[in-house]
Amino acid sequence: MSRAAQRSGAAPSKRAQEDGDMCPVCKSARYLNPDMRFLVNPECYHKMCESCVDRRFSQGPAACPIAGCKRTLRKARFRTQTFEDIKVEREVDIRREVASVFNREEDDFETLQNYNDYLEQVENVTWNLINDIDVEDTRRKMDAYKEENRRQITRNQSNAAQEAISRKAREEEDHELTRLRRADARREDELERQEKSDARKGIINKLATTKGDAASIAREGRRAELKKSSAQRVALDKKRDGDVFSSGTENGDASSAFLFKGLKKRVAPPPEKPYDPYGGWSAEKEYFSQQDFYDWDYLSNARTDPRYSAGGYDINDYCARALCDAFSGFGVFIQDEVSGRDLGSTPSMATTAAAAVGGERVDAKMDDVF
Amino acid sequence: MRLTEDEIYRSSTQFRLWSFTPEALASLRATTNSTATQRVKAAVKRLRESRNQSETNSEAENGTSTPVIFNREPDCLTVEEEMKVVEAFCGRAIVLGNVLEFPSNVIATGVQYLRRFYLFNSPMTYEPKSIMLSAMFLANKIEDNKMECADYAARITGTTKEQVLAPEFLITQALRFTFDVRHPFRGLQGGHMEMLAIAQGKAAVLPYVEKTAAEFQQEMLELPTQPGGAATKITQRELEKRLNAATDKARDTLKSSAIQSDAYFLYTPSQIWLAAYLLADEVLALFYLSSKFPGTIDAETPTGIAKLKIVATVRACAVLLAPDPALQKLSAEEKEAKRLEEINEVKAIHVKLRHCRDPDKMDLVKLNKAQKRDAGVEGKLEESVAKRRKLEREKNEKEADEFWGPELPKNGKKA
Repeated sequence: MSRAAQRSGAAPSKRAQEDGDMCPVCKSARYLNPDMRFLVNPECYHKMCESCVDRRFSQGPAACPIAGCKRTLRKARFRTQTFEDIKVEREVDIRREVASVFNREEDDFETLQNYNDYLEQVENVTWNLINDIDVEDTRRKMDAYKEENRRQITRNQSNAAQEAISRKAREEEDHELTRLRRADARREDELERQEKSDARKGIINKLATTKGDAASIAREGRRAELKKSSAQRVALDKKRDGDVFSSGTENGDASSAFLFKGLKKRVAPPPEKPYDPYGGWSAEKEYFSQQDFYDWDYLSNARTDPRYSAGGYDINDYCARALCDAFSGFGVFIQDEVSGRDLGSTPSMATTAAAAVGGERVDAKMDDVF
Repeated sequence: MRLTEDEIYRSSTQFRLWSFTPEALASLRATTNSTATQRVKAAVKRLRESRNQSETNSEAENGTSTPVIFNREPDCLTVEEEMKVVEAFCGRAIVLGNVLEFPSNVIATGVQYLRRFYLFNSPMTYEPKSIMLSAMFLANKIEDNKMECADYAARITGTTKEQVLAPEFLITQALRFTFDVRHPFRGLQGGHMEMLAIAQGKAAVLPYVEKTAAEFQQEMLELPTQPGGAATKITQRELEKRLNAATDKARDTLKSSAIQSDAYFLYTPSQIWLAAYLLADEVLALFYLSSKFPGTIDAETPTGIAKLKIVATVRACAVLLAPDPALQKLSAEEKEAKRLEEINEVKAIHVKLRHCRDPDKMDLVKLNKAQKRDAGVEGKLEESVAKRRKLEREKNEKEADEFWGPELPKNGKKA
């Protein structure tokens, strides 16, 4: 008895050690197979060896072989454990998942108080998930939030990445948004097709069952179909037109399970103006208006000469320049405009030169008045 | 923001740095002259003192006395004499350009460089001949007229490449590194082109002028030949001939008296070519000017004042460009006599100039060399410097040949 007690007392620590080295499914031990690797699936975190995973899940999803666990596992999600304690592993996973959904930053909130309130709500969700409190409800709420705010989430994700690699992140964001849009479109198309075929079926049924004018029934059905599809199109267009920034999911959402107060209204950056190489300046002709063609022998030679035209020389450019030269300074009166101004730096230059005269040379390199 | 033709000109360096009122121009020349005079006198005095010093030394040694030759105060040029010298060299620059068959804008640019240079420098300081040659060569480069310096020097007797290049940096400095000279030549072409279009009745009329192209043509055909003359009626062909003749005459004025006067400093290129045209054919020029303003125009309105002002400015410029009326009245013999007299006068000034040159700036080639990095005594580097350089160069070459290139400088050590 005492022996047994002794044995049982010593057993847990030993078994724990053995557990670590023995697959709970196939019971093969590291002793026999030194290369054995253990994998876990974040679905239930039950440990099993690599060969077991291969054996059981290569054919597709299957139930967890551990007694009492009925979760369906996929091979792709099996991975090596990072932390020794499986609880820590699970908590880290959950925190990562929650953080990827609730990824707002302090800058998104008006006050620090708002941000802290938000963080508290997020922590509540995390806590519930970790400790299995209201898991169903919390998951549902989180998924609803994720679905409603996916654009915002994607953007925040890419913003975070942007700090590291801005260009790549932007591309990714674009890709992600495009993907979402495409998925939306595909879903809509699918729906439409479904409805169309339903309607057709309805018409055929009607034709088969009722005794009316076949043509009028068909027409009516067609009209209803058209009405529906056009309404859909309008709704779809509206949805598409809505810019990424104004997609209505800005404020944490009254409809969603979570309500975050004090979120800043996000302002879309103003669209970039087209580049103006002249920096806002525009040439304006004040004293002449140019013709398209000037009948002048001097020019007609140049017009026909391939030596000029081959290089892309445009005679009209010469005309514009000549006319501009003819009047550049036409209304500039030097006597009036220059009289007020100091003669550059002339007087001071003259004095420095005069000062230099008496004494030594000022500078061997710059020996004149400038 | 609008950029009109006038604004384009206002942004040019010719307007910003090289446009003056007549008073400013005169005072500038006076200042330059007085500065140069002081400089020459001081330099001569210094030279004389050092010579006296050496003479007293030698006197003490030899016990003989030699008379002091250099005791006279140098007789410096006046502003007018300086002007005459510069004018003379502008004329010679034009001759040189014509002989070497430079395009007219090269000649004009070179002459303007010369004039700009002597606004802030005196012929007493820098000899006009070498400056003129170098300025013309510089103008070739600026105006994109390819010419080898050696060729250029070879075509001018008694000039070497070094002599041409020596004052070059000096000139660029004096030009304040503003090489752009706005000439009236292309403007004249543009004006001629537009006047031809008016004569053909095909001109694009300005929006605020309440006339049609045909009306303009009609008016132009009926223009009198002389100012104040009776209205005539000529054909379009005759009108075109008249325009061509006027433009040719105006171009000659622009090539000669425009670049030889202060016109570039006092007026804008647009006003200069209009003035030259006014000299060639006053009626046409005034007609063209008025075509730029609304037909009926009140002298009290801003536009009217602007028109009057422009006409007045162009007339003032024309006075500057016009040949001396007193000279024109003289007969050919008298003109020749006058010309000879002027030549003699310039020669006399030259002789005077020879005695009042700044002794510090006599040899420009040597001065230029002294500024260079390898300046040494009589063109030879000091032996130690030369040796050090050679070693350095060899080391650098060796290092550069190595596979990974020269060694990187150590931290905190100068490269």
